[in-house]
Amino acid sequence: MTEFTHLHVASAFSSHFGVTRPELLVEAAAAQKMTALAITDRDGLYGAVKHIGACLTLGISPIVGVELSIVDDEYQQLARAVVLARGRDRGVGWSTLCAIVSAAHGYNIGDALSENPKKLQRARKSESTSIRRGELARLIGESMGACTVLLGTDSDVGKSVLRGSRDEAIALLEPWQELFSTPNSLAIEICSLLTEPGTESSVLQANRMLQLADFAKLPAVLTNSVRYLTPDDALTADVLDAARFLEPLGFFQVQPNAQAWLKPAKLMRSLAEEICEDSIRAAKLLLDTEKLADRCRLDPVNDCGWMKPKTPEKAALGIEGNPFEVLWQKAEAGMHWRYPGASEAMLGKVKHRLGQELITINKLEFSTYFLTVADVAQMIRDMNIRIAARGSGAGSLVNYLLGISGVDPIEHELLFERFLSTERSSLPDIDIDVESARRHDIYRSIFRRYGSNRVTLLSMQSTYRGRGAVRDSGLALGIEDDEIDQIAKSVWRFSAGSFRNAVGKKPELGAIAAALESDRKMNLLVDITERLNRLPRHISMHPCGVILGDSNLLRMTPVEQSGMGLPMSQFDKDDMDPMGMLKLDVLGVRMQSAMAYAVREISRVRGEELDLDAIDRADDETFKNIRTTNTLGIFQIESPGQRELTGKHQPTEFNDLTIQISLFRPGPMKGNMIAPYLDGRHGFASPDFIHKDLEPILRESFGVVIFHEHVLRILNVMTGCTLAKADELRRSLEDPRAKAKIEKFFREKSKERKYPAAVIERVWHILEGFSSFGFCKAHGAAFALPTYQSAWLKTHYPVEFMAGLFTHDPGMYPKRLLMAEARRLGVRVLPVDVNRSSNEYLVEKTPDGLAVRLAIHEIAGISEAEVSRILNEAPFSDVGDFYMRAKPSRRTFERIAQVGGLDQLKLGDFGPMHTRGDVLARVRQLNASKNRKHLDPNQPTFDFNFNDLPTGLPEPSNAEKVEAELQILNLDFTEHAIDQYRPMLDEMGVMRSDELVGLRSKTDVLVAGIRVATQTPPMRSGKRVVFVSLDDGSGCSDSTFFDEAQHRCSHILFNTKLLLISGKTRRTGVRGVSIMAENAWDLRELWQQWLQKQEAS
Amino acid sequence: MVRVDEMVTVSVNPKGEPIGFGWRGGAYLVLSKPVRWFARREWWVEAARAQRGIGAGVLEVEMWRLVASCNEEKQQFELVHSFVGDKNVWRLNRVFS
Repeated sequence: MTEFTHLHVASAFSSHFGVTRPELLVEAAAAQKMTALAITDRDGLYGAVKHIGACLTLGISPIVGVELSIVDDEYQQLARAVVLARGRDRGVGWSTLCAIVSAAHGYNIGDALSENPKKLQRARKSESTSIRRGELARLIGESMGACTVLLGTDSDVGKSVLRGSRDEAIALLEPWQELFSTPNSLAIEICSLLTEPGTESSVLQANRMLQLADFAKLPAVLTNSVRYLTPDDALTADVLDAARFLEPLGFFQVQPNAQAWLKPAKLMRSLAEEICEDSIRAAKLLLDTEKLADRCRLDPVNDCGWMKPKTPEKAALGIEGNPFEVLWQKAEAGMHWRYPGASEAMLGKVKHRLGQELITINKLEFSTYFLTVADVAQMIRDMNIRIAARGSGAGSLVNYLLGISGVDPIEHELLFERFLSTERSSLPDIDIDVESARRHDIYRSIFRRYGSNRVTLLSMQSTYRGRGAVRDSGLALGIEDDEIDQIAKSVWRFSAGSFRNAVGKKPELGAIAAALESDRKMNLLVDITERLNRLPRHISMHPCGVILGDSNLLRMTPVEQSGMGLPMSQFDKDDMDPMGMLKLDVLGVRMQSAMAYAVREISRVRGEELDLDAIDRADDETFKNIRTTNTLGIFQIESPGQRELTGKHQPTEFNDLTIQISLFRPGPMKGNMIAPYLDGRHGFASPDFIHKDLEPILRESFGVVIFHEHVLRILNVMTGCTLAKADELRRSLEDPRAKAKIEKFFREKSKERKYPAAVIERVWHILEGFSSFGFCKAHGAAFALPTYQSAWLKTHYPVEFMAGLFTHDPGMYPKRLLMAEARRLGVRVLPVDVNRSSNEYLVEKTPDGLAVRLAIHEIAGISEAEVSRILNEAPFSDVGDFYMRAKPSRRTFERIAQVGGLDQLKLGDFGPMHTRGDVLARVRQLNASKNRKHLDPNQPTFDFNFNDLPTGLPEPSNAEKVEAELQILNLDFTEHAIDQYRPMLDEMGVMRSDELVGLRSKTDVLVAGIRVATQTPPMRSGKRVVFVSLDDGSGCSDSTFFDEAQHRCSHILFNTKLLLISGKTRRTGVRGVSIMAENAWDLRELWQQWLQKQEAS
Repeated sequence: MVRVDEMVTVSVNPKGEPIGFGWRGGAYLVLSKPVRWFARREWWVEAARAQRGIGAGVLEVEMWRLVASCNEEKQQFELVHSFVGDKNVWRLNRVFS
């Protein structure tokens, strides 16, 4: 006999337990000529779809199960055991397994699947994942034994066996046998990890388990409780155990040895011999293992609905008749809405394109899919929530007509074929952006609309990356928190898999490099950090994915509770296509919330109703404003790099925004597209279109091939192939193996069409180099819309727009930089005032015009309860009144006073003028009293008079105020944080950011400021470049640190907040200046030295 | 039980199981079927490196438990088997009386 099948295998998707990815396990099994392999991840089917996919690729049978904690009715653990699904039974085994896993996570699927479906809610709120033995038995019994429980060493029976008490073990086994009486629903798992004789998982225990199985006439099967591929991986398992127990190694019971690997059949056979001490019994053990394995071999298509699309039923979408006809009618109806008053010629063009798209959609049978997305989009609009499309979906006219997308694909020359074609059959992604603040409302509405039997959230597996890997490795080794913090902080954007390599190369890792010379622990840290790299770490709710299926969805995927409380699938986005599941991306975008907020404030304060989707998209003022490069707060173009590009590019129309957004991407940057494009645009070089046929395609980009759409149309024109075929060719270009075939096709066809050899040569050279560098224009155009809308709001309604930015914080910059931008724009921001501030940044009418009022929740440490008490109880008449009714904590009370939140309560109509110092004194008096209840405003107190403020205390200085503001609001409000250093900066001749634009190139300069951004974008050369942006109140300066400069100031490059930088100016365009940095210093250190010098002289 | 930790010379059968060993001038003959098992090391205390591919030897160690005697008296012994390069190294770990 040669066969052995592993039935107990945890993959890396058993987070903090398994070590090896499912694909690698399957590969190893296939290489050893095994014909089947199981995956039994802990607590879920997290790796199951990847396992099945890998098995299908390599031609072996997938087996799927789960390892669960089984508990008694008091939730005391009875066993951790594997439950395997029966295969080739038209999905009964699979759906029973899904129901069991969901039940272990507290969801009773029966509720949602019954004839009168109930809302799916968690039955209990237990922290740990487990299933009661009775419930498990019921689910398996109802399915007539569609799953098999493997009772093994980690069980009440197994422990009793170890104690050597035969009668006790038999008694404990009885209830298992009674409950799991359906044939094939219970087996005994025999496993020896060759541990110390007499301990758990030893040969002795395995032998006794076998005796017990024979006594009870239960089948026994052999496993190796696999949790890693090779013995070497056991070290990684140790580290994962430490992460699971949250204890350093040495502080908990570690695994006994390194035996739990995927042993080959030969070794498993000799284990069987060793355990059974009898070759006939050993042969039977192996035979029974194969029998069970055979029973569990899955047929992915018929058991799991592999690749079969599952969309909501017509009734659930509220449609009758043929879905394609319904889609057609809806799209036709959309034409009048989207193209009112269009010419016959235009309508003809639209109808022609529509026809083409509909034919493709019909051929692929995706009508229901489009109707589903349109239905969700309409639902979102009906909720009065902003919505925009993103990605290649914007290239579809159908999406535009159904209101899923907001940019006209005909006007912007976007191609449907990039999005969908008959050459591909997987469901396309239609991603929609919504207001982030309303995202959860939308999810709940989707559950309500389609029923919780058809909807579940998508999950995602986060994996170990640099810092996380360092932290957990440090924990395992027991390295002090502070030390690990230091190291983790210096780990800056590189793969943990190349930690040792990076240590030698990156200047900020210099301290670690030195430690590696002598420090053993540090060497171990680096080694195990590399081991953790890319392992799944934990499952969480996907930031935007919702799965929409038919009423059988919960028979196909197990669910567990997500962070927001709604159930989520254990499958991730890569599992959707194979499982035929429809994933809808509803992405929360803060900018959409900020813009919606601005529109609401415009309506509230001015009574103007604004439809942001209907504004003129060629507004001169807006483009003029963008061209100043003061783009902070504008979607997509506010980063330092985009700001610099804005200065060089000087956009004048909507399409320019599409191009600019697309250019500043890793692909186009690596492909060196920016400089030639800018040269053409500014007339430094005359555009070279290579051939007159390509001129119409490349006119917009001055001869530079930027977009996927360009490539499609070039292939279409020069080879005569369809656009759909062209997109397939474009995709294959990324595959080096396919390149030769495409080259042959391109050269032959274009030669047939009489293109000169030189043209063919040059175009092929461009296409070949293009491969992954380009960008999808539809994606850029979809992004350009909110870019333009936010720029328009900033130009025409700066106060409301800033209020929106403050409230929803959409950008990459800290609030204090928004404050600086407000200052620059002349938008007044009013201090916290307990009588006026709300939990949003309200726009306020004042005698001096509109202004923004700081929100009350910005006070550090204020609780939600305090905020709602203040909002409910306001207005307040004086400090004592506020104290009695708002009931702030002592800390909050003092903090509000420190930032002036009570200043307005000090101004009596009569009596003396008071300072903030007086208010603070009263606050401290009140805080000193022991008990709020006993204070009666009408009774005089011993220590102070309740109704009158003290007098005569000084107003805090501006420097003191700024200090308090930075601490409490994280904002510098009274003046800019850098202002207090002005005397020193002036003496040193430090430039202000807004003076830089007037300087010549290569002028030596000093700039100072507070760090607002640090970036290390991808570079064509592969060398690392660090961009640091500083704000000094007059604007932002952007400094570039190349290799040498990085070395000079490596210790402060990433961590220090206030910086002084020296360097040379570099002009990058009409409005663009950046600094080639030479060195940098910590401003606070310089200040101390300067003060000492001042004192000395 | 006595902890020993001394180098011993061991002869093995073709399956690699110990059949006899020499210790402190005495020649010991194995009288039971030796039981092989795997114990583990605290690599985080002992090891200098733990990089991928270093091998399970950093983490686990092969042990043999057997009954042997030199003269009249039978005792239970525990041997540790490891490799230094490709050379077999045996140590006597513990003696149970």
